[in-house]
Amino acid sequence: MSELIQIGAARPKAPQPQDLTLRWSERAVEELEALKGHYPDLKSLILPALWISQREYGGHLPPEGIAEVAARLQRTYAEIEGVATFYSMYNTAHAPGRHMIEVCTCLSCHMCGAYRLADILEEKLGVKMGETTEDGVFTLHEVECLDACDRAPVIQVGPDYLDPQATLQDEGGEAKMRAWVDRLIDDLRSRPEPSSVRLADTVVQVHVRATER
Amino acid sequence: MAEYKLLLEHADDPAYRTLAGYQAKGGYQALRKAVGMDRQAVIDEVKKSGLRGRGGAGFPTWIKWNGIEKEKTAPHYILCNADEGEPGTFKDKQIMETVPFLMVEGMTIAGWATQGDHGYVYIRAEFCDAAKAVRQAIDEAYAAGLLGKDILGTGWDFDLDIHLGAGSYECGEESALMSSLMGERGMPRLKFPHAPLPTVAGLWDRPTVINNVETYACAPFIVERGGDWYATLGASTKNSRGTKIFSVSGHLNRPGNYEIEFGTTLGELIDLAGGVKGGALKACVPGGSSVQILRGDGLRDAVIGYEEMWEAGSMVGSGGCMVLNEHTCIVSFIWRTAQFYAMESCGKCTPCREGTKWMLQIMERIVRGNGQPGDMDLLMEITKQIDGRSFCGLGDAAAWPVAAALKVFPEEFEYFIKHGRSMIDTPQARALAPRWAQTVGV
Repeated sequence: MSELIQIGAARPKAPQPQDLTLRWSERAVEELEALKGHYPDLKSLILPALWISQREYGGHLPPEGIAEVAARLQRTYAEIEGVATFYSMYNTAHAPGRHMIEVCTCLSCHMCGAYRLADILEEKLGVKMGETTEDGVFTLHEVECLDACDRAPVIQVGPDYLDPQATLQDEGGEAKMRAWVDRLIDDLRSRPEPSSVRLADTVVQVHVRATER
Repeated sequence: MAEYKLLLEHADDPAYRTLAGYQAKGGYQALRKAVGMDRQAVIDEVKKSGLRGRGGAGFPTWIKWNGIEKEKTAPHYILCNADEGEPGTFKDKQIMETVPFLMVEGMTIAGWATQGDHGYVYIRAEFCDAAKAVRQAIDEAYAAGLLGKDILGTGWDFDLDIHLGAGSYECGEESALMSSLMGERGMPRLKFPHAPLPTVAGLWDRPTVINNVETYACAPFIVERGGDWYATLGASTKNSRGTKIFSVSGHLNRPGNYEIEFGTTLGELIDLAGGVKGGALKACVPGGSSVQILRGDGLRDAVIGYEEMWEAGSMVGSGGCMVLNEHTCIVSFIWRTAQFYAMESCGKCTPCREGTKWMLQIMERIVRGNGQPGDMDLLMEITKQIDGRSFCGLGDAAAWPVAAALKVFPEEFEYFIKHGRSMIDTPQARALAPRWAQTVGV
């Protein structure tokens, strides 16, 4: 069975209410307040609030990040955790490396050589899919369709879609992929900001109207 | 037939992504015309146009708009399904990135026609560029008084907000999308006739119109040029009107989005995308991963239309046309399809949750070279147990491609099970396989 399908993965324990310190920045609190005007109830804010929390907690959602959403929206921890663990883009299982490289291996990408691209990335970084490099800079991940099949094989890093502009059907396609991966890794290494924080911030900003900024 | 660019006419013009550029090309004339019309007259134009939902099901759009209560007793919501997740489809992404105002104006027109109060665009969170383009469009429309209070002096208020998902294919299903927007796990809800339609009780149990991005983007043209004019497009088909954007990907020289009139053939569509790359045409999945695969011989003449495609053995679906060349192992392709659905099943109902995993396990043992005699019958039996028995359409969508491939390419499955390796024994085909499957039998 695919490593992508995890059944009954153990979850970390929820923090006790008395142990919880609210850590969101002032800006995050203001964003949440602005978004309250978009919906008739607080419950609908769970998804955007989890995005805010993921940004505030450095690109992943530890139990404290989930508990803070629960506290701010007056919901139970169990409910918020249930929602957060349903969606694949909330990093509830573990903190990713500084750059999470998500490789699409779904149909069109598979047909254009996504598994070779995945191999090249694994070789280059010396880790397998789902693992983080020892220096904590890169996490590799296999994802389902990113819906950019015209760019197949495509990868996502934070809010950006990137592609080698070569398929295995092209002349010298694999060599082009290798050269592109080398450039990509060098480029990402020089970027200090965690890509999952950049992604979460972009998502949050998109929710906020210009008049609310 | 060549391309017919209606929605994507100005897709290459960056100015069209700004309000000024959009209005210079006739943008917002349709909304101005609509607010001067009776609300019912707008819905009647949509009825005359023959517009059918572009998200995959092809449901007549006007029925949804007409189903909203005329005597208003509660807030009405306008919801746009921009959670494009179907493998092979990327048309909504391009609409939002390059012609976002068409969708925004279309939603506003739908809002006017149905006395809407608040609209939401539910976009998958991976589409950051698309979401940013829509954000900018909405902000400009607000600043110009085309959204917000008292739109165009009519006294009618309409708000439009963006809501992003967080990574779930299931949320493209309309009831799951509404669950997700309301802050729940993206699982589907009971549907008609067991529960009211979204037009009666949708978001927060209020009347809700929900359509696809492309459907809304058609509305400005229908209102401005008239439903009768729109219905002349695709008139050669039985019941498919207008244009359709096809996302063409796979083994092609120029993969991309191509807008065509209904009535065009699949062969013409493949030629538009520069023809097949790296070998002869072997097969095509014309409407996204959920639809039935077609054999290469004969598919070039298949006419694109909802009914016509059905007669050819497949569906228009969401328009995600994947083209495969002769070096494609169909068994491997279907194994990957099965993995997608097993991954994305939300887990609510047993036939889908268990059935998709079973299909994946069987497909995986075949691809590993451990297929058992009788696996084809077993797979077919499982597809029958899922199809029509799952809570929402995802189960059906998981069963159809597997069942179709077993019927259309039985020899490949038989060969793989018997010999423990793929029938397509070319270096090109081997290069595509994942490493663990590649060495089998070689």
